[in-house]
Amino acid sequence: MELAHMAAALEIENASFTTPWTPGMFADELAQDDRVWLVAIEAEELLGYGGIMLAPDAVHVMNIAVAASARGEGVARALMLALAREAAARGARRMTLEVRATNAAALALYSGLGFDSLGVRPGYYDDTGEDAVIMWADIARLTAIAAAREGSDIILAIETSCDETAASVMRGGSETLSSVVATQVDFHARFGGVVPEIASRKHTEAIVGVVDEALEQAGLGFGDLDAVAVTYGPGLIGALVVGVAYAKGLSLATGLPLVGVNHLEGHIFANRLADPELTTPLIALVVSGGHTSLIHVPDWGEYHTLGSTLDDAAGEAFDKVAKLLGLGYPGGPAISRLAEQGDPAAIPFPRAMLHSGDYDFSLSGLKTAVLTYVRHEQAAGREIHIPNLAASFQAAVIDVQVAKAVRAAEEYGVRDFCLGGGVAANTALREALRVALAARGVRLSVPPFALCTDNAAMIASAAHFRLRKGAFLGLEAEATASLPLR
Amino acid sequence: MTYVLAFDAATEHVAIGIARIDGETRTTIAATDFSAPRAALGRLLPATRVLLEDAGLAPRDISVVAVGRGPGSFTGVRIAVATAKGLAHGLGVPLAGLGTLDAVAWRFRDVTGLVGVVGDAMRGEVYPCLFRCADGRCERLDEYHVAKPIVAAEAWAATLTEPVLLAGNGLAKYAEVFEGTLGARASIAPEELWTPSGESVLDAAFAGHQEPSLAHALADPASADPGLLLPVYTRLSDAEEDEAKRAGAVPPTGVAGPDGGV
Repeated sequence: MELAHMAAALEIENASFTTPWTPGMFADELAQDDRVWLVAIEAEELLGYGGIMLAPDAVHVMNIAVAASARGEGVARALMLALAREAAARGARRMTLEVRATNAAALALYSGLGFDSLGVRPGYYDDTGEDAVIMWADIARLTAIAAAREGSDIILAIETSCDETAASVMRGGSETLSSVVATQVDFHARFGGVVPEIASRKHTEAIVGVVDEALEQAGLGFGDLDAVAVTYGPGLIGALVVGVAYAKGLSLATGLPLVGVNHLEGHIFANRLADPELTTPLIALVVSGGHTSLIHVPDWGEYHTLGSTLDDAAGEAFDKVAKLLGLGYPGGPAISRLAEQGDPAAIPFPRAMLHSGDYDFSLSGLKTAVLTYVRHEQAAGREIHIPNLAASFQAAVIDVQVAKAVRAAEEYGVRDFCLGGGVAANTALREALRVALAARGVRLSVPPFALCTDNAAMIASAAHFRLRKGAFLGLEAEATASLPLR
Repeated sequence: MTYVLAFDAATEHVAIGIARIDGETRTTIAATDFSAPRAALGRLLPATRVLLEDAGLAPRDISVVAVGRGPGSFTGVRIAVATAKGLAHGLGVPLAGLGTLDAVAWRFRDVTGLVGVVGDAMRGEVYPCLFRCADGRCERLDEYHVAKPIVAAEAWAATLTEPVLLAGNGLAKYAEVFEGTLGARASIAPEELWTPSGESVLDAAFAGHQEPSLAHALADPASADPGLLLPVYTRLSDAEEDEAKRAGAVPPTGVAGPDGGV
C-alpha cells in the first residue's frame, strides 16, 4: 500500500467503520518498518486493503476493509491469506486480531481462516460499547489454506478407523504422491470378524512405519507438507484413537495444521479421485463392513445423511453369513463367488424395510432368517444348496440397497450416483445398481477396488476440500465412534 | 542443553514432566498431573503445550520423548504411546519407554522399604508389582504381570517378612483384599499418591527399566526409533485369550513388545 492509494482507501474506510482511521493514522502506519500493508486492486480500482504489525509475540492485524461494492467476493480472505504469507516469510508463527462481537460476517470469515476465539475484551469499542472478540490463529493454518485454494497443497493423511493402517501423501486434493495400506485382515480372519482390541494394537505397531513408507514413496519429508489430516470418526473408537493421537502429536511437533476428516466423506471422495468428472449434486451409498449409509451431497463438502443401517452393516451381514456357512473371512468375496452359481430366487429371504418409506436399512433380521433356514433344513435332514443360499441372501441385500438408492436418486433429482466402501467390490451389487440407475438416466460411479476399501488417499482428498474452507482440528480433538456426516 | 519430555496416561490420570540435562545434572523444570477419566486424548497434548510454553520452550527444543508403556488401561496406554510416537516422529527425536507402575513407585523415592504397587487391570484383576525404595531410588523386584487380587495378595503374604507400603489405582477396588490378607504388614499410602506425577514419570524414565531406556535413547538415538516402541499389555485380547483357552494352552501372560515387557 502506498500513499497514492490513500484517497480511495479513506473512502472505503469511512464507508466501513463508525470510527474510521484518519489520514494521519494511515500515514503513521505506512511509515513504520514493522508493518506490512497490502491492497487489492482490480482494473486500477482499489477494492480493499489490510495491514499487519510484526510484533515479537505475534502478528497483529491492524486494519482490514473492503469496498462495499466488492464484498462477498473473497477479497478480504485473499488479503488475509496474502498478509499471512508475508508474515510467514518473515518468520512469524501466530496471528491475532480483534473483531466486533456483533460482526457476524467478519467472525465467519476469520473462523473460516482457522482463527479460534480465545477471549473477549468487554466494552472495547468506545462508540457502541461493544465487546471485542480476540481471535488467534497459527499462521501455518492460513498458508495451508492459501496453498489449498491454489491447488498446490501437500497433505499427509492418516486413516485407522477399522482394520487398515493407512497413510497417503497428496498434492492439490487429486494428485496421489503415495498411498500405503497395511492391512490386518490376516490377524482378524480366524475370528470371523474384526476384533477391535487387535485392530488397536496393530495400528499402534504399524503407524510410524506406514507414515515413513508414504513419505518415502512420495520423496518428501514433514517439512514439505502443508497439513496433516486424520480420520476422526466414525469407526472403532479404540482404532480411531491411535490415528488421532498420533496425528495430533505430529501436529504439535511439526507445527503443521491438523484437518479432521469423516471416514464416510472419505469414501465419497474416493469416487472423485477415481472419476474427476463427477459432479454434484449426487447421492452416495457407502457400504462396508462397518457402514451402510445413503448420503445426499448437494455440493462438495455439504452432506445430508438420508439413512443408514439400524443394526448390522452390509459387509458385516456378509461376514456373519459366511461364518455361519464356514466360508471364511472376509465373507463378501466368498459369498459373491458362490452366488454366481446359484439361483437368487431359490429361497425367499425377507427384504427388510423395503417399503419402510425412509432410507434406513436393517440387516440383522436377514442374518437370522438365514440361520433359521439352515437349522430348519438341517433338522429336516436336507442338504443345503450353498450356492442357492448365497445367491438368495445376496439378492435380498441387493434388492433393498438398489430400491432405496433409486428412490433417493429420483427424489433428489441427481444425475450422478456414487458407490463406495468395501462392499462396492460386489459385482452383482454394482450391476444391479448400474442397470436400475441407467434406466432413470443416472450415472453410477464406482472407484477401483483399491479405493473402495479403506485407504488414506481418499482421506487426503477430502481433507483438501476441508482445508480450502479452513476447517481444522485443535490439539484437544477427540475421536468419535459415531461421528455424523454433515 | 538437552530437554526430556516424559508423560504417562495409562491410569485415569495424566502426568507430564519436562527435565533439563546439563552435563551430569538433571533438573525438573516443569511438571503437572491431573485426573482425566476417559479424557486423556483430549487433554494430554493441550496440557503438554501449556507446560512447554510456561517453561519457555518450543516443541523443537525437546531432544527425547519418554512415554509410559503401561501396564494399565489398554486405551490409555495407546493414547500416550501413539501421541508420543507422533511427537517423536515429527521432531525426529528418539522415543524411550518408562514403566507406569514404576512411575507410581517413584512417588515414594524418599521412603525406605518395600512399596507394593497395585495397578487396576479391569475385569476383576490387578497388575501387582513390588519395588524396594531407598536412598532416593526405587528398584523394581517383579516382572509385570496380571493377577486376581486375592492371588496377588496371598503371594505377597506368603513371601513378605517386612512391612509394605501399598499404592496404585487398583486399591480403589481392592484395598480391603490386600489389607485383609497382609494384615499388619500392609499400610496404605494416601490416595493422592496412587497415580504418577510429572516428577515421578521423569524419575521412572531416568531409572531406565523400560526398553529402550532413556540413557540408551540419548546415547544411541537410532536404536530408539519411534516406530519400535510398543505398549506393555501383559494380556492378549479377549478374542485371543478365548481362542487359547479353547486350544487348551493359556499362556501365563500375553506380554507384547520386543523385549517381552521386561
